[in-house]
Amino acid sequence: MSLALKYGASALALSVAATAAYADGHAAWWKEAAAPYQGVTIRGVTESSPPSQYIREVLAPEFEELTGIRVDVETTSWDQMFDKGIKDMEAGTGIYDMVYIEQDIIYSYLARDFLTNLTDFLGENPELRAPTYDEANFTTFADYFKDGDGDLYGVPMEAFLKVYLYRKDLFENAEIQAAFKEKTGRDLVPATTHTEYSEIAQFFTDYGKANDLELWGTTAQAHTGHVASWYEYYESVAPTFGVYNWGIDANNNYAASVANGGAMNGPEAVEAMEWWLSMRDIAPPESPASTWTEVGTTFGAGRAAQGLVYGENAGWIAADETKSLVVGKVGVALPPLADGVKAAAEAGDGYIGYYDGGAFGMPHSSKNKEATALFLQYIGQNEVQPDWAVAAPRVTHTATYDDPKVVAFNEELGGYYDLIKDKGYLFAGAPAYPFHAQVREATAPIFYQILTGDLAPQDGLDQMAAAAEATLTELGYRN
Amino acid sequence: MHSKRLGWIFLAPTLVILFFFGVVPFVYVVFVSFHQWNPFAVNPEMVFNGADNFRRIVFDQAFLNSLGVTVLFVVFAVFSQLVLGYLLAQAFMRDFPGKAIFRTIHTLPLIMAPIIVGSVWKLMTTPSIGIIPHYLDEWFGITMNIGTSAVAAFTTIVIMDIWHWTPLVTLTLIAALVSLPPDPFEQAQIDGAGKPQIFWHITLPMIAPAMIATVFIRLMDALRTVDEVWMLTGGGPGSATRFLGVHIFREVFPKTNYGYGSTISVIVLYLTIVACWLLYVTMLAPRNNRRSEED
Amino acid sequence: MRKSSPIIGVIFWCLISFLTLFPIYWLFVISVKPAVQLFSTPDLFVTDPFWGNYAKVWGDRLLRSYMLNSVIISTGNAMLCTILGFFACYALSRMNLTGKESIFFWTITNRMAPPAVFLLPLFLLMTQVYTVGEWKLLDTRIGMILVYCTFNLPFAIWTLRPTVDAIPRELDEAAYVDGASTWKVITEVVFPLCRPGLAVTLILTWVFAWNEYLLAATLTNFEARTLTTGLSEYVTTTGTEWGIMATISVFTLIPALIVFGLVQRHIVAGLTCGAVKG
Repeated sequence: MSLALKYGASALALSVAATAAYADGHAAWWKEAAAPYQGVTIRGVTESSPPSQYIREVLAPEFEELTGIRVDVETTSWDQMFDKGIKDMEAGTGIYDMVYIEQDIIYSYLARDFLTNLTDFLGENPELRAPTYDEANFTTFADYFKDGDGDLYGVPMEAFLKVYLYRKDLFENAEIQAAFKEKTGRDLVPATTHTEYSEIAQFFTDYGKANDLELWGTTAQAHTGHVASWYEYYESVAPTFGVYNWGIDANNNYAASVANGGAMNGPEAVEAMEWWLSMRDIAPPESPASTWTEVGTTFGAGRAAQGLVYGENAGWIAADETKSLVVGKVGVALPPLADGVKAAAEAGDGYIGYYDGGAFGMPHSSKNKEATALFLQYIGQNEVQPDWAVAAPRVTHTATYDDPKVVAFNEELGGYYDLIKDKGYLFAGAPAYPFHAQVREATAPIFYQILTGDLAPQDGLDQMAAAAEATLTELGYRN
Repeated sequence: MHSKRLGWIFLAPTLVILFFFGVVPFVYVVFVSFHQWNPFAVNPEMVFNGADNFRRIVFDQAFLNSLGVTVLFVVFAVFSQLVLGYLLAQAFMRDFPGKAIFRTIHTLPLIMAPIIVGSVWKLMTTPSIGIIPHYLDEWFGITMNIGTSAVAAFTTIVIMDIWHWTPLVTLTLIAALVSLPPDPFEQAQIDGAGKPQIFWHITLPMIAPAMIATVFIRLMDALRTVDEVWMLTGGGPGSATRFLGVHIFREVFPKTNYGYGSTISVIVLYLTIVACWLLYVTMLAPRNNRRSEED
Repeated sequence: MRKSSPIIGVIFWCLISFLTLFPIYWLFVISVKPAVQLFSTPDLFVTDPFWGNYAKVWGDRLLRSYMLNSVIISTGNAMLCTILGFFACYALSRMNLTGKESIFFWTITNRMAPPAVFLLPLFLLMTQVYTVGEWKLLDTRIGMILVYCTFNLPFAIWTLRPTVDAIPRELDEAAYVDGASTWKVITEVVFPLCRPGLAVTLILTWVFAWNEYLLAATLTNFEARTLTTGLSEYVTTTGTEWGIMATISVFTLIPALIVFGLVQRHIVAGLTCGAVKG
């Protein structure tokens, strides 16, 4: 059994170890700071992802033992999480003291002023400021949760890249390498351009067919009725063709269509769509019904030779034997790119894929702000990070990369943490739009029609650009 | 009359609960339906916009399409359930070995929550690795892909709904059939009536109230279907299974379009009421009134 | 009753039962497969069952409290709706109330409402209006019992009305002549004769409450969360834990089966009632 993702059984053991290491340090400070809030219960809502599970199973009990403050975390489905947080903050009910903020919704929350400014709050309450907590410890991912003045509104708790995963065992197989060389005249190495990627994908799909294997050349998160497909296109495909921020120009009156100065239906967007559809066509047959869940399982079941997979899943695919058939056979690389995209990303003018994650924020409506601030700092310390990064592969602190446990785990993950550390800056989170879900929902039904073939890519993208502009006008962002 | 007062007392708790949890929220929804309101718009407050939302809905292609597929779904599903449910209920009126066991088995789908049903059917129909497409391909060479074929997705949902809810129809019809008095049937047999005649002239009129009540329930539940479809197709491929329940859910949940979402809901509710009212006044009310007049 | 060959009957029912049971069987198969086998070629039979999911679910303290909430909410709601529905139906059926047919129809309109949009007003009402001091109706079992009445009470009224109507008034009148009070007529004459209808109503209202998801997902947080909302915790961006979901689902079938077993007898009892009546 590998080091692996056992937040369940081994969680207790981990927590004992962590607390023991911790006890001689600053335990006295925590006890003293928390003294006025003994018996308080703080409540949070989050998606039930492995990092959140770790908070609920390990960090919360640990914190309660240390401080006497109880932490209840409600975990729920991805759809429900937003709705519940929004309803509570909108109505000012104060049910939650902490809400999970996915990176793509932070701008909506900031625009509505739902969240407490944590930097200010700790500045005004120095007695609550933990000696082991420092905003400077976070990776650059924390910048997504800051306002224009650099003040922090959420404590990052997970961060991932959507990466290019490939099957090392297949790519390094001498026979396959020879066959590939014969067919294409190239060496079989992870693709750096879309043409190379297509070539490899086609090769493996043919190879699977010829050898009667359940193997295809690529994954595709191409569900025809779930926003996962929309996300794959806008987060991970369009940017690699140079279409950024959904093709909407925030500096130009939120224009989406080419006619008005946007890029949503421009030639690059069409090219990206056509390329992606051609990949979908040689992906496993379940792809048109695949969300992020199925893409992960498809890859984990060994049905695809390469693909773009969320970092949340990269961990268990590479290391968890109870779920994955390809443990130890996974390599990570940067996604294939069109000309000039990498240079643009390095210059800070673009990005090559999705930097995804979330943080815990404190709504204004919270009734236990002091106790909550203590807990948020507790989960934001360097000390609790390494075990957490092994239990649920995510890194939010710079120091975490160098921890021996994490270094060892990085090996198992095929160098995934190195990629975040060294190349993370090339990736970007969702664009800073307070209308994220609204425009997505307005355009997604048209997008699905492109996937089903009811609309040609150009026509579909034209309609999407028009729908986006109409929605933006209706919401008052576009004049 | 003393019994009148008592009657209102009997009705009071029902009326009170439905008022506070049904009427009050409804009034709120109607109020919101005359506003533009999206908490993530530049102006997050409710803005009164008269009948604009109602004007817009008439030309809303997405809504009309959703209405169309919903009606199609309801007609297919409810009609099949009624016929199958009635036949099975009749079959249960006979005696055969193991009847109690079979009846229990037949009611099992009811105890599964819609989200569970949706999940199981999703796993059973996942293209190429779900058991149904797998064996359809292996045994008959038929490709079934609910991600690409609108017909496959729609049919799967109809079959799933029939599987899930036919037992409800059977159960309510059994309850109706067992309380029928035997005399008219004996009399008809003595008079030499055939099976179809007995069905049309005796059984059907006598169980019609229960049947219509069941159709009502199924009709309005089918119109509100969300969970199963949400789990199985999410409304896809394209908008082939984007039923009204799913459409409204998308409009008010992820899109937070409270104003227009409320308008759609009000319209849907209105259409449902009109459809049911027509069914009710033509088929059920005369019967009830006749009964009342007998008092 | 009519006669036909019992063999054909049994074969027919075996076939129907196979179709009915298959998805449930498949649920079980998913629950005893390790996650790693789920996305490979499906086998019809399980050769080497894996019980890990069961151990995990059984040991989960939270799920047990969800289970308890579900049992309390659905049982409370089913009893409440069946009893209130019965009395309402008695009034509608036997008493000459002004506008009673309109009231009857109006009750059912409460079930027609598309649920999604009603969540917001219900949330606001239950947090800001239906409150007593600090105590609010949101996230309480009693709150959920009352909210579920919006769809179950109309259902109870509509399924019980034909049953109550079908009981001959002569029986009421005969009892009145014997000097019985209205209460006695209801409890000793009408109520027992309605048992099959009441049993079906009780079962079905229970099932609707037990299976409800959307309202519970929005209107409960910590204290009153039900099993269906517990299920949704396993649908995440990191993948759906199908095995665990299926295992919980198998567990949810058990209380439902018990309730069915307890109540179904009364449907059979109804058979004899009908015979006596004739």
